[in-house]
Amino acid sequence: MPRKIRTPLGVVRIERRVTYPRYISVLTTLLAIFLAFAAVAIILTLMGVDAANAFMIIGKAFIDPRLLLQSIKQAIPICLSALGVGIAFKMNFWNIGAEGQIYMGMLASTGMVLLHAYYGMFNEQSLLAIMFISSFILGGAWCLLPAFLRAKLNVNEILTTLMLNYVAILIVDYLIHGPWRDPKGYGFPLSIEFPDYAKLLFIFNNPSYTGLLIAVLGAAAAYFILKYTKLGFEIKVVGQNPNVARYAGINISKVITLGGFLSGGLAGIGGLSIVSGIIGRLRPRASPGYGYTAIIVAALAGLNPWLIVVASIFFGGLLTAGESLQASMNIPKTATQMIQAIIFLFILMGEFFKRYRIVFERKEGGKGA
Amino acid sequence: MIEWIESVLHTTVQMGTVYLLASLGEIYAERSGILNLGLEGMMIMGAALSFIFTLAYGHLAAIIVSIIAGILMSLILAVMAIHMRLNQVVTGLALTILGLGLSGFLAFPEIRKKILLTLNPTLPEQALITQEAPKLPEIAVPLLSDIPLIGKSFFHHNVLVYVSYIAAITMWFILFKTKLGLSLRSVGEDPATADSLGVNVFLVRYLATVISGGFAGLAGAYLFIGFHPFWQEGMTAGKGFIALALVILSTWNPLRAILGAYLFGGVETIQFRLQLFGFGAQSPYFLAMLPYLITIITLILISFENLKKRIGVPKALGIPYSREQD
Repeated sequence: MPRKIRTPLGVVRIERRVTYPRYISVLTTLLAIFLAFAAVAIILTLMGVDAANAFMIIGKAFIDPRLLLQSIKQAIPICLSALGVGIAFKMNFWNIGAEGQIYMGMLASTGMVLLHAYYGMFNEQSLLAIMFISSFILGGAWCLLPAFLRAKLNVNEILTTLMLNYVAILIVDYLIHGPWRDPKGYGFPLSIEFPDYAKLLFIFNNPSYTGLLIAVLGAAAAYFILKYTKLGFEIKVVGQNPNVARYAGINISKVITLGGFLSGGLAGIGGLSIVSGIIGRLRPRASPGYGYTAIIVAALAGLNPWLIVVASIFFGGLLTAGESLQASMNIPKTATQMIQAIIFLFILMGEFFKRYRIVFERKEGGKGA
Repeated sequence: MIEWIESVLHTTVQMGTVYLLASLGEIYAERSGILNLGLEGMMIMGAALSFIFTLAYGHLAAIIVSIIAGILMSLILAVMAIHMRLNQVVTGLALTILGLGLSGFLAFPEIRKKILLTLNPTLPEQALITQEAPKLPEIAVPLLSDIPLIGKSFFHHNVLVYVSYIAAITMWFILFKTKLGLSLRSVGEDPATADSLGVNVFLVRYLATVISGGFAGLAGAYLFIGFHPFWQEGMTAGKGFIALALVILSTWNPLRAILGAYLFGGVETIQFRLQLFGFGAQSPYFLAMLPYLITIITLILISFENLKKRIGVPKALGIPYSREQD
């Protein structure tokens, strides 16, 4: 029996939609984003900030070519980690640890550059490839532990992945304030600058284009794995119904462990894209929460790899806009975090309107049942 | 020696109270089947608002506003998790991100100045730019504070610490000794049966969620005015999530939460003491990892226990309830 709510306007029924066409999905998402910006406008106006001007600045991050490239650059780590988060969420493994896995990726790629620069290991041609592999492995390993604990001991992965974020950030803090500090850097906590062949510059000599290619390749890989491989199939079954998975003879522990590794590995490459794409060296707190934004992006895109690419450019633009806002209007960067969260909440609520239909009944007790 | 132990215990209780207040409410929410992952965000909002309102109107207003803020945020969670049946993990996370962003926004010097001037135009210039606020005064409980060792450690605190003692005991009593508590637990274990026995599942879950929000706001207020009255963006630093781990460690029991809270409080106290002794002078980073690592280790240890005894987790935790079969 459908639920009924009595309101002054009559009886309201909430019905589950049996199927919903794609246009409803697109429409609710757009409406959610619109409502979120309306809410943000209200908050900004209440705080005495010129909301129209602020939105103009945000819009510029997508129109002005120079800023758009900056937005795309910021979108790369978000996109790669969101792809990882998406894989994890598909199997109901709540990997909230993309941020820490990003830091481990940064650590691995910087470590390889330092090995090369200080000890002459690896040649110039292979360095970037080795950085890719090592950041994937270390990022993956950082997620492997929570995945293993969840698979074998049923330890809550939400909390373990989250705690490991703080640990990872502190490890990087230690290294960059200590042994990895540039000896010629006047005591600033910065690593040496990466040589050009260790940077993401191989397309048009520009990290934005190079990063975009990597992000699209990442999305293609995630799409392929989920759609055409046995592991991808098993990930989906484990997520949808663990009991079915068990009866079908799927080794759930193995799927979660492998999927977790893959998820962390993608975020690790996201970390690489920060140090060799955006900054060109390692510094403390190099990620302003890309790993958390990635969770929002994955949810917004409905875990679809291709939509994740689009959604992360949108959020990369928001982050870029945040920097302009702070510079030109003295609005704190945290305002963009607030905007992100409000969009997130509205998108989630939109989820409800996709799944359910609200029916107004004019006369009380009309059609019923 | 005695004095040293007293001071360590005293700090342990001070630190532990943050965790205790936050986890008490969360225990109620989870017992009713709602996972409030927005705890961290509600705490930081409590901290930021208690900063602003202490400067504007004083401590009492700050505490009340923080609690209200926590309640309002938890109402968003309640609507989304209970009525819209949305995923509680992502909803809670969204609220945490919202809290972190909004608190940083409101407490940002320029914005904060505007808010303070609106709230109280007579404030002196100094209050508009400071990052600090007056701390809650410590009150010694008559008689009890004279007990050797225990008196100094447990009864020489500010009022919110005493609130946490009383709340823990009351909430344990309500949860396990009253009909209301029975309803709450049954809703978290088997909502369909509870519903058929006449318990209003939705109402109980709303109440429990709101309680968790109120306590989270209070915990944030305590963190700021009761413990460390110096504003830093993101000053909760994962304390809300550690409180979530504490709920598991306490096996959803308010009395055990006291022990767990002081265990975590103790770990942080030791961390600071070691720093004072010059441990990790070159790299304080490893000591700072301690609370997070201890949390992971306790989660692992408790999981062994859980595997053996199969105790604890409310069965309907995180599962939305609906009368329809869907």
